[in-house]
Amino acid sequence: MGITQILFWFLSIAAIFSALMVISSKNPVHSVLWLIVTFFSISGHYIVLNAQFLAIVNVIVYAGAIMVLFLFVIMLMNLNKESEPQKHKWLRIAGAVAGGCLLLVFVAALKDTDIKHQQALVNTGNIGLIKNLGKELFTTYVVPFEISSILFLSAMVGAVVIGKKE
Amino acid sequence: MNALILSAIFGVILMFSGILLKQKAVIRNIAIAGIVLLLAVNILEMCGTVLFHVNTHGMIVFDRFALLFNTIAFVATFIYLILSARDMEKVGVNYAEYFALIFFILCGITLTSSFKSLLILFLGIEIISIPLYILTGSDKRNLKSNEASLKYFLLGAFSTGLMLMGIALIYGARGTFDTLSINMLTEGKPSLLIIAGMLLLLFSMSFKVSAAPFHFWTPDVYDGAPTVFTSFMATIVKAAVFIAFIRLFDDAFGVLQSQWQLFVAIIIVATLFIGNITAVFQQSVKRMLAYSSIAQAGFMMMAVFAMNTDAKEGLLLYAVAYCFATIGIFAVLIKMKDYTFDGFNGFAKQQPILAATTTIFLLSLAGIPLTAGFLSKFYMLKAVMITGQNLWLVIFAILMAAISVYYYFRVIQAMYFKTGDTQVVEVSSTFKWILVILSAVIILLGIYPDIVLNWLYF
Repeated sequence: MGITQILFWFLSIAAIFSALMVISSKNPVHSVLWLIVTFFSISGHYIVLNAQFLAIVNVIVYAGAIMVLFLFVIMLMNLNKESEPQKHKWLRIAGAVAGGCLLLVFVAALKDTDIKHQQALVNTGNIGLIKNLGKELFTTYVVPFEISSILFLSAMVGAVVIGKKE
Repeated sequence: MNALILSAIFGVILMFSGILLKQKAVIRNIAIAGIVLLLAVNILEMCGTVLFHVNTHGMIVFDRFALLFNTIAFVATFIYLILSARDMEKVGVNYAEYFALIFFILCGITLTSSFKSLLILFLGIEIISIPLYILTGSDKRNLKSNEASLKYFLLGAFSTGLMLMGIALIYGARGTFDTLSINMLTEGKPSLLIIAGMLLLLFSMSFKVSAAPFHFWTPDVYDGAPTVFTSFMATIVKAAVFIAFIRLFDDAFGVLQSQWQLFVAIIIVATLFIGNITAVFQQSVKRMLAYSSIAQAGFMMMAVFAMNTDAKEGLLLYAVAYCFATIGIFAVLIKMKDYTFDGFNGFAKQQPILAATTTIFLLSLAGIPLTAGFLSKFYMLKAVMITGQNLWLVIFAILMAAISVYYYFRVIQAMYFKTGDTQVVEVSSTFKWILVILSAVIILLGIYPDIVLNWLYF
């Protein structure tokens, strides 16, 4: 068992354990903190797969920006034991059945699909390196890259239109 | 390519014109000049003059179909702007920004009509959607507008998520975003991954064109949005998304037609049924038009179902007929004080010209012969007939078209055969003349549809 394999098992166990903690912990703030641990361990997986850019973006965007937003929302809502909404017993069962059905469908549909590359490129692939990604982005995909600037510009104009005082 | 770049540039120009210029008339004239210029360069490109040479690596291809649709969309936007641009002043203070957002949407429309890569499809759909969320909520003091905007944003974001999931699954199956490479025959059964991705794309595109059972956002959003912007998003935007729909399923999933045809047929039947039956019970003309746009979407879906030359020609003609007629009706509706059917009582006595043109628009939407609406419906039904063994769908569609006559004629009945006094905002004589020209064009296209369709081939 090489170092990569040990790392993989460690990260997998950490990811699954913290993901379970997210849904099982009673305190919403703890849930968010466990979610951050989950994101970090998934970023670890990306590094094992030599996808450095994805790992960094995952940490910055998800564990950084989005989680801070989550924390703000939870603190603004001021959730505690008293204000916790009581869910009906049947509602919970219905939710579990619906979620289970979705899982079943996905597993049934995707269990025997063929994926292009069966082998994960561990430690050797260089697709995920920032240098190669940048090269692709500014040669082959330069047109979509520039077009996305129009998307962001329109979103910014929109934010001003909605947010400005009349 | 000309129109794509220029529309983005004009969006930026109009964005800055809000800071630099104080007169609203100047801003409006810049916008109208912009759309005329876009139309001109697009026709130039149809004649073979490309101003900007960009190597898109085959991701965007401006073929005749795309360019002709762009021309139609620009003409419709031009008519929309000269009819209704003044009414945007009443919506809010950000007058220039509304025009900027409309030009960004036009940029998205040029993308969705010409994509050859799923990446561009996604960008195009998003560039169309995000400004629309804003325009829906632009009447900030109106609670209904706020609600519509939030509803549209949440549901729209969800359906975009579905679309991305579908694109990801298809990438997983084929290893490419290129629509033509996706469309390859595989031995044996097609992989489940690509079927799942295709269905997700089908659902999200059906959402964007408001086909049942994904239509629940439509009445509330069209009703809540300021009427000027409802006019834009119910016509030009919807037609553009349909063009994207037919391109996607023709280019990328042509070989899988046996897999998706049944789903599309179910969606068509549900859309026609729900749209027409619910429209019958509406009391507000604006809400009735929202349901009627769902019903018309059912007819346009038939082009996706049949997927042959007639279907493509028919869809372009349908886009023209539907856009022109609906823009005309909305332009009149904006001038009304009361949006209910009763608000139209005695309209013909007060405004004979407006009532006559509105009648022609309504007849065209209902599909009465000698109007463009009849021929476009005829093309759709013909396209389905050619595929053979789908006669039931044709018969069902004709039945539903017959039901639609009821609610369109209710407006005509109120205008001509009931007495009352309609409250109308003052209209200028130019406004009336444009409406007369528009209805003349609709009748002309109902007699000679080849005026539009000949542009596809030469």
